[in-house]
Amino acid sequence: MTTPSFGTLSFGIVGLAALVLVAIGPPGPRPVRTDPVAASPPPGVSAGGFTISSTSVDLPIDDGVYPDGPHADVINANCTSCHSASMALTQPRLSAEQWMAIVKKMRETYKAPVVETDVPAIAAYLTAMSGRLGRGSLDDASGHTSSQPAGKDVTG
Amino acid sequence: MDRFDTLLAHATSRRRLLGGIGIGSAAAFAGPGLAETLANLALPGGPSERPITNAFPGKGSMILQRIHPPLLETPIEVFDQDVFTPNDRFFVRWHWAEIPTSIDATTYRLTVRGHVARQLSISLEELLRLPRVEMAAVNQCSGNSRGLFEPRVPGAQWRHGAMGNAKWLGVRLRDLLDLAGIKPGAVTVRFGALDQPVVAGAPDFGKSLGIDHARDGDVMIAFGMNGEQLPLLNGFPIRLIVPGWYSTYWVKMLNDIEVLPGPDDEYWMAKAYKVPATPGANVAPGAKNYPAVPISRMVPRSWITSLSEDQTIAFEAAIPLGGIAMGGDAGVARVDVSADGGHTWYKSVLGPDQGKYSFRRWDARVPLPRRGRVALMSRCTSTSGVTQPMKPIWNPGGFMRANVETTHIIAA
Repeated sequence: MTTPSFGTLSFGIVGLAALVLVAIGPPGPRPVRTDPVAASPPPGVSAGGFTISSTSVDLPIDDGVYPDGPHADVINANCTSCHSASMALTQPRLSAEQWMAIVKKMRETYKAPVVETDVPAIAAYLTAMSGRLGRGSLDDASGHTSSQPAGKDVTG
Repeated sequence: MDRFDTLLAHATSRRRLLGGIGIGSAAAFAGPGLAETLANLALPGGPSERPITNAFPGKGSMILQRIHPPLLETPIEVFDQDVFTPNDRFFVRWHWAEIPTSIDATTYRLTVRGHVARQLSISLEELLRLPRVEMAAVNQCSGNSRGLFEPRVPGAQWRHGAMGNAKWLGVRLRDLLDLAGIKPGAVTVRFGALDQPVVAGAPDFGKSLGIDHARDGDVMIAFGMNGEQLPLLNGFPIRLIVPGWYSTYWVKMLNDIEVLPGPDDEYWMAKAYKVPATPGANVAPGAKNYPAVPISRMVPRSWITSLSEDQTIAFEAAIPLGGIAMGGDAGVARVDVSADGGHTWYKSVLGPDQGKYSFRRWDARVPLPRRGRVALMSRCTSTSGVTQPMKPIWNPGGFMRANVETTHIIAA
């Protein structure tokens, strides 16, 4: 599988240049023509009355971290590049065994570059964070008292 | 919108995101400041609050499940407005974080290879020149409504909004396969895409269909969604459409089709997205060592969308009630409604038929048994005779929830 061509990048650069020019403003009191090159449509293909235009977007960057707690430094060092911290923080209350199974799956199946000696600390952080659900320290948690089986299937 | 406007819009929306997130007590989402709007998904045991975000390209207000890689849920009220989900409100789900953000339509190629007579490398322009089909079809995540499983299970904690319905415009997969010429002995067709894992060695995402399914004439490659090109986050420029099947098969940013002379034994078919081979994919919580099969066909579901959970209305002897339904891999035959916990059912009137794979609108009047808290229910029966069960299923993946759902209101 290949990565897409970077042809559309040029349009991004042209657009960016236009943005910078506008931000700087006109060089003097004289009015400046504003028919920016960026007004030309992005390249695309058309046939049969349908057009597919090249597309370039910016995705939001997540700079969120795991809240303070024992081993927060370990989980923040290991578990923020592949996915947002919110993925773990929106999980329901899970048992220590479930969290351990999840951390091991991330490392062994999904090849997260986590050294094995960090695994217990990450699982312990998640278990402690998760345990706060149902004690009123997170939003509307009412808590489960039933034992929960380890989720072994991949979720999607 | 031209490029300049697009850039400005991105700059603005980025600021809005960073200033707008911050989730009260759960602190699950980053960013300074107070949250502007939160959605409460009312998941049993919580956490239930999620920010509403407008920060994603091509998307309006969405429930933010995860920024990176994006998981965006459609608010339930969107489904009350039309049976077709607007592109800018259509749910978003990505497995891997390496998502191309710049795609050149003039150089994009779709490869057809493997157990074929002629390997193909097809441009988008060539694709546009093939015979076209358009079909309305529901795209629903395998784990839609996972957050309502009890006992709870790990995974993306969706309520009901990991689904959408669109008119898909494209070409038949069969036509492409015929152009390549399938060799005798072909068993499986595997679909690959541009998104990639962040770390080397992780299983690249790919899904497969049996050769007869791939050639059934319904499975298509779509470039159009509700009359427009696909939003990048919904798989621009082309994605697979597998009507009646869960969206794990609807591979986004499709760039590779491989015909195999045997089964696909790679991770995403052999290990992931498997469900118990039991009626309704149901097992007892904690069950182990049951036979499992890849998830496949969808089953009937329905939702009340005209009233929301815990909404207060003025008491009347009978109230109007409306919503949407889907038949799964078949059409919607009927939708019945109840206001007394499922003891008494009333028939609804179905809206226009947009095809058997589409959402279908339903509207009814239902007598209210009393003032106070009332449990409203809707129940779909498909044209193949399958009726939604009352009792929820359970499986460890949180897949295929399809029981009758309840909306509680207060009739004051």
